[in-house]
Amino acid sequence: MIAREMFEEFKARFGPLIQRADLPSDRRLFVFVDRSAVKYVCQHIFRELDARYVASIGADDRPFSGKFLVAHNFAFDHDHLLCSVLSYLPPDDPKIDSISDMVPAASWAEREMRDLIGIEPVGHRYLKRLVLPDGWPDGMHPLRKDVSWNQVPDQYDDQREFKFDEPPEGCTVVPFGPFHPTLDEPAHFRLYVEGEMVRGCEYRGFMVHRGIEKLAESVMSYNDIPMLAERICGICGCVHNVAYVQAVEEAAGLKPPLRAEYIRTIMLELERLHSHLLWVGLACHIVGFDTLFMQSFRIREPIMWIAEKISGNRKTYALCVVGGVRWDITHEVKAELRYALDKLESEWSAVVAAVSKDKNIQKRTRGIGVADKVLVKSAGLLGPVARAAGVDIDCRRDHPYAAYDRVDFNVITEQGGDVWARLLVRMKEVFESIKIIRHCLDKMEDGPRQLQITDELPVGRMGLSSVEAPRGESHHFVITGENNRPRRWRVRAPTYQNLQAVPAMIKDQQIADMTISLGSIDPCFSCTDRLETIDLHSGAVKVWSQEELLKLTRAKKA
Amino acid sequence: MNRSVIWMIVSGLLNVGLVLLIAPLCQGVLRKVTARIQSRQGPPLLQPYFDLLKLLGKEDIESGEAPVMQRFAVYLSLATLLTVACLVPMGFAAPMNSAGDVILLIYLLTLCGICTLLVGLAAGSTYSLLGVSREMMSMIALEPLFAIAIVVGAVHTQSFRLDSVLNGSVYVAGGFPWSGLLMLGVMLLSFQAFVQRVPFDISEAETELMEGPLSEYSGPKLALLKYAQMAKLIVYSALFVALFAPWGSGFVFPLGWLLFWAKVLVLVLLVTVVAATHARYRIDQAIRYFSTLMGVGLIALVLASYGH
Repeated sequence: MIAREMFEEFKARFGPLIQRADLPSDRRLFVFVDRSAVKYVCQHIFRELDARYVASIGADDRPFSGKFLVAHNFAFDHDHLLCSVLSYLPPDDPKIDSISDMVPAASWAEREMRDLIGIEPVGHRYLKRLVLPDGWPDGMHPLRKDVSWNQVPDQYDDQREFKFDEPPEGCTVVPFGPFHPTLDEPAHFRLYVEGEMVRGCEYRGFMVHRGIEKLAESVMSYNDIPMLAERICGICGCVHNVAYVQAVEEAAGLKPPLRAEYIRTIMLELERLHSHLLWVGLACHIVGFDTLFMQSFRIREPIMWIAEKISGNRKTYALCVVGGVRWDITHEVKAELRYALDKLESEWSAVVAAVSKDKNIQKRTRGIGVADKVLVKSAGLLGPVARAAGVDIDCRRDHPYAAYDRVDFNVITEQGGDVWARLLVRMKEVFESIKIIRHCLDKMEDGPRQLQITDELPVGRMGLSSVEAPRGESHHFVITGENNRPRRWRVRAPTYQNLQAVPAMIKDQQIADMTISLGSIDPCFSCTDRLETIDLHSGAVKVWSQEELLKLTRAKKA
Repeated sequence: MNRSVIWMIVSGLLNVGLVLLIAPLCQGVLRKVTARIQSRQGPPLLQPYFDLLKLLGKEDIESGEAPVMQRFAVYLSLATLLTVACLVPMGFAAPMNSAGDVILLIYLLTLCGICTLLVGLAAGSTYSLLGVSREMMSMIALEPLFAIAIVVGAVHTQSFRLDSVLNGSVYVAGGFPWSGLLMLGVMLLSFQAFVQRVPFDISEAETELMEGPLSEYSGPKLALLKYAQMAKLIVYSALFVALFAPWGSGFVFPLGWLLFWAKVLVLVLLVTVVAATHARYRIDQAIRYFSTLMGVGLIALVLASYGH
């Protein structure tokens, strides 16, 4: 179904509650809905039309339209359509019906909206603070336009403590994190443990906010932001870089040159290669198999060298600007890249053969951390986690961007939905990535790398971009604005969705399986925690005072 | 004081000194070989000595639930192992032969395990307690195995004397009896667990429990605990050699002595290779594994008592 047909369908069903629509192309639909109908439209889309939940966005649009704006984004993967359900809220009553009852995956996004913009999701069952630090005063919402990016709240109270839920009867609390050898970044899981069995957990994350979105919306310019965007993540930075640029290009109706699209594809796949190799190594490390960890890293190294050769950096490639790319892939690099790929392919085949036959690893990963199709749908799980459960989604094929519609590749799926299946998916995807890069090298033609943009970008236009990161779909939403910068830029990294399902995945499992289950979604906490205006003066250091940390790590019984 | 008592003390101390001297070197070999298997350069062979010296030179922090208990547990861990070292032949006859019998040895070996529990309990953090509960579970399933091996030897030799049991006694009674061979297999398959290396480093499991019982220790205490771990590898290897591979111990001085340490080194290398090529077991999987071995061990015991 293309966008227009979808819109007609909505109109026929909901009548005047559908206010208007914006149809920039067959693959995008922005439908504006009366606020009373948002819940029902979303229910219709999610349940009856069986769309996939992507993200919810809140925006303070008062300086422009005098209202607040809410958007719920959905993806129709079979129809190659991204759909955004938008609604304006009056400035004096920013409330909207929560959709998290029908769409559990929206739970975090709605809590985030409440924390940061102050839009109240009415009917949400678990309205605990999600993003803001413990001492942040109530009623101050940092992403509102009347709060400046560097404002330090006067009433910040570093004595205020976060109230954790009561553990279930008969359970001991085992604090996992904020610092733990298998967590590369801080996040806190409060595990409720009965003997060796995990019965539940509470998550408290968002400890490494850097205020990226606010910074972008208030001080940076269109072409600064890609460099900021790729710093969202230390592993899949290029994904955010490309996704942001594509969202802006879409909003402004720009089409980058062909060569730029191929270069973007190659860099994204190089990133997937090194990310997957890193993950397989880490998974082995978590289950105590350090030899494969070391070998994966050895095999991965030449990929980093190639990336450095192309962009000057092993990571953070600073690849895109709006309308093109900054680096070229020369003939010399092409030859080296082909050689590196050949070597990688043969070495990786050996690793895959070794892992596939290893009974020990299978023992630790089969039937562990299971996320079945039902959980994938309700929690909006993405990437290898979804594909390992047999859910055939991949943005590269479903919502093609860059040059992915011009190359051949298979979307790898497995059944089982356990850690083992995720391991298989990631191992096989490495070969697909190699294939994609080779295709791109073959097809790439000479030409310009950047568009010449002479005019100001149009104001108030919206753009969506979904890019398949190694961990799943990264979704960026942009509303263009004045002063050469976007009005609103929202990033939804894949871990944001996948992490929400971890409590369900580790329930009734042994505590020993906790780390590999969590590891199996390839969590990226800095991606998840990307936004928010936590000022450096009042940020993490004060929130987690040493006393609190000691208390947390030494807490024994609730 | 007569001459034999002095000799006993001197040779006992000699064993202790040797264990303390060689244990870090074996750890160095282990780390180097592991690194090579993993395509790494690896640390210098002598690195464990430097590590220990560095840790010993650090500030001794008294923390946790019971500082006195912690210190006691740490001393006890190393001391127990060194006491065992006095009873085990290391290239010569068992030095303190007349000071005890194999029953004492079995007690001391159990005490080694209990020390780990004490260490964790005294620290008292959540992760050490988790480690302790795992250690306790695996101890119950694991410790009897060495005891069975020793008892099988004692049954064959009709003696509890250290010098007769710790001399390949599992094979006596005419060549290679079934019970001896069975126990050899059982001990080979469980050796990794006795020296607490991957895949059986379950109670420490860095990536799950943050070193479990050790997680609250630092500085000199950690040094002693690490030292005890290294010594454990040597002492258990020596025990294994004495029970199951005594051949050549009768050779004249440097030859027999060198042969013994060569056998210990082979065991260390074996441990290294197994550790580098396996993923860690989960506690329930490990217990199931141990209990199978225990079943086989009991069969061996029955066979031994019927003279097979």
